[in-house]
Amino acid sequence: MDYRVILIENNRVMLERLSSVVRGIDGYELDARYQQAGDALGQGKMFQPNLILLDIDVPQNLALIPEFTDAFPGAALLCLSSNWNANNAAQIVKAGAKGYLLKPFTAQEFIEAVHTFGRSGMAASSETLAFFSPKGKSGKTTLVANLALSLARKSGEGVGIIDADLQFGDMAVFFNLSPQSTIVEAVRDIEFLSPITLNSYFLEVPEVDNLRILCGTKKPDYAELVDIEPFEEVVRMAQSLFRYVLIDLPPGFNPVSISAAELSTQTYLVAMIGGGFEIQHMRRAMEIFKAWPDYGKRVKPVFTRVEPCTDEQRQWLSREMDFPVDAILPNEYLLVSAAANNGRMAVDNRSGTVFADNINRLADEIIGRRKMR
Amino acid sequence: MEEGRRGIVATVFSTASAVGKTLIAINMAAELVREGYHVCLVDLDLQFGDVANYLHLEAEYSLADAQREAKTNTEGFDVKKFLTVYGYQGWSFYVLPAPFALEEAYNISTPAVQHILQQLQLDFDFVVVDTTSAFSEMNLAVMDMSTIITFLGIVDFIPTIKNMKIGCDTIRSLGYEANKIRIVLNRSNSKTKIDLADVEQLLGEPFYHVLPNAFEPARKSIQTGVPLVYSSTNALSTELRALVERYTNRTSSHESSSSGVSSWFKKIFN
Repeated sequence: MDYRVILIENNRVMLERLSSVVRGIDGYELDARYQQAGDALGQGKMFQPNLILLDIDVPQNLALIPEFTDAFPGAALLCLSSNWNANNAAQIVKAGAKGYLLKPFTAQEFIEAVHTFGRSGMAASSETLAFFSPKGKSGKTTLVANLALSLARKSGEGVGIIDADLQFGDMAVFFNLSPQSTIVEAVRDIEFLSPITLNSYFLEVPEVDNLRILCGTKKPDYAELVDIEPFEEVVRMAQSLFRYVLIDLPPGFNPVSISAAELSTQTYLVAMIGGGFEIQHMRRAMEIFKAWPDYGKRVKPVFTRVEPCTDEQRQWLSREMDFPVDAILPNEYLLVSAAANNGRMAVDNRSGTVFADNINRLADEIIGRRKMR
Repeated sequence: MEEGRRGIVATVFSTASAVGKTLIAINMAAELVREGYHVCLVDLDLQFGDVANYLHLEAEYSLADAQREAKTNTEGFDVKKFLTVYGYQGWSFYVLPAPFALEEAYNISTPAVQHILQQLQLDFDFVVVDTTSAFSEMNLAVMDMSTIITFLGIVDFIPTIKNMKIGCDTIRSLGYEANKIRIVLNRSNSKTKIDLADVEQLLGEPFYHVLPNAFEPARKSIQTGVPLVYSSTNALSTELRALVERYTNRTSSHESSSSGVSSWFKKIFN
């Protein structure tokens, strides 16, 4: 499809600069350009544009977004700004814009923005799922990888994984990826990023084009040295990129896990049954989350390596927790280790196994909850 | 700082979780007692430490109480007051458990832990420290203070080995004497298709000691609250004893002396 573009940019020099970028791209035709939004609203219809670029560094233009979407129902509206602002992003999407692009942009960034936002639009509200475990070796990464895949397939919408286990994240191994950029670079660069440029820090998963992953580090940076504010900004920006954001957290309570849980719509507490004191640890962790007034709805315990993986076991665990256990998963150690060892994705999408069925049920529940809103 | 002899700090660390740190730390402490040493075991898995759980201890005080007292009563602080005794058939060692409440755990400071460990060094031949699997500020400070670090690994699947390799490289980058770090493999004969020799090649050195898998005895030890080296004779308890004997130089093996020389060479030529 060819794009017929209208560009609104108040600054004369910037207008020239952006115009030359758009003109230079195959498949894009710059039909008209204006310095004043009112001119575009009054005159733009002549050209039947299907893509409108609107400068929102002019504050009044923000309020004109609904008029643009009314006047050009067949066009996608992308807002342009010289800096990223999460509040503005939420506001423009609510008002009807498809996305947000930082200016000046390169041809590649522009094409990627159109590609990313053109399909589904920026997420006005995303379901953010944080995965917390009291101790390591909880089966959490296996859960996140498989659940993300199931969510991507079932919903058809954008799903992003953030591997926030800053020292020993395993998500890249699970999906057999070799990341060039990781969460550490994303946190470092976030000040200069927009959703589009952040998107390129998320790696594509082969054969699943609506699932992307921000991998953990290759070397352990000291978790304490990762600043929480930019980390939170990465999460917030990811929320505007994906309908579902899944965050794999380092074990225990630490600044990263606490802030990600705070930003989440749902926090899953995950532990692996191993004949030790896992249930006790989960109960203690739960006590902390009870500080949330809505913890009853927001916190979801999950136990992995539950054998036999039956509803009776789930009920028993719920009684032990004194709280409903949301899901249980059977022992998949051999499957996961065999896959990971052979450089295949350690995800299981065979249906009919207890593991896959329980993952799919969890995905249905999450998608259903989102639709309820 | 007081005059006097300071005991050995033996820290058990790993970069993968659930590799058996707590079990090894407990048995190390217990075996050192059998050898006649005065031993204290400190649980620095602050949030979800299992030392007291595994030993079925009903402790009155924790590290958090010790930290509070050290802060308010700098002159008269006596760390011994906060220890709990674990005893079994005439053997006993002291335990400083992890904080009971998570809020307390979150507020433990690294300097306080350093101070408490220093105090314990004045009273004990050995201070055995159990940790968490992360390069946190606290773990790094404790490793600095340690006489010896048991870097524990298991070989099960690739992500664990990746993390063991990363951990080894990171510890080496801290610039400790090579002899300070002892890479010990736990559960060596558990289900895996990965060759140990390949792992050793990847890590760049052989394992200092290899402990066999003994899931049932280990589970029973946790259920009964009795360390393996006290309660049973099996392949694991035998190797645990052998490991501690090497640490206390009761057995002087060719292997360890030659690794000493090579590490000395390494230091010179690096």
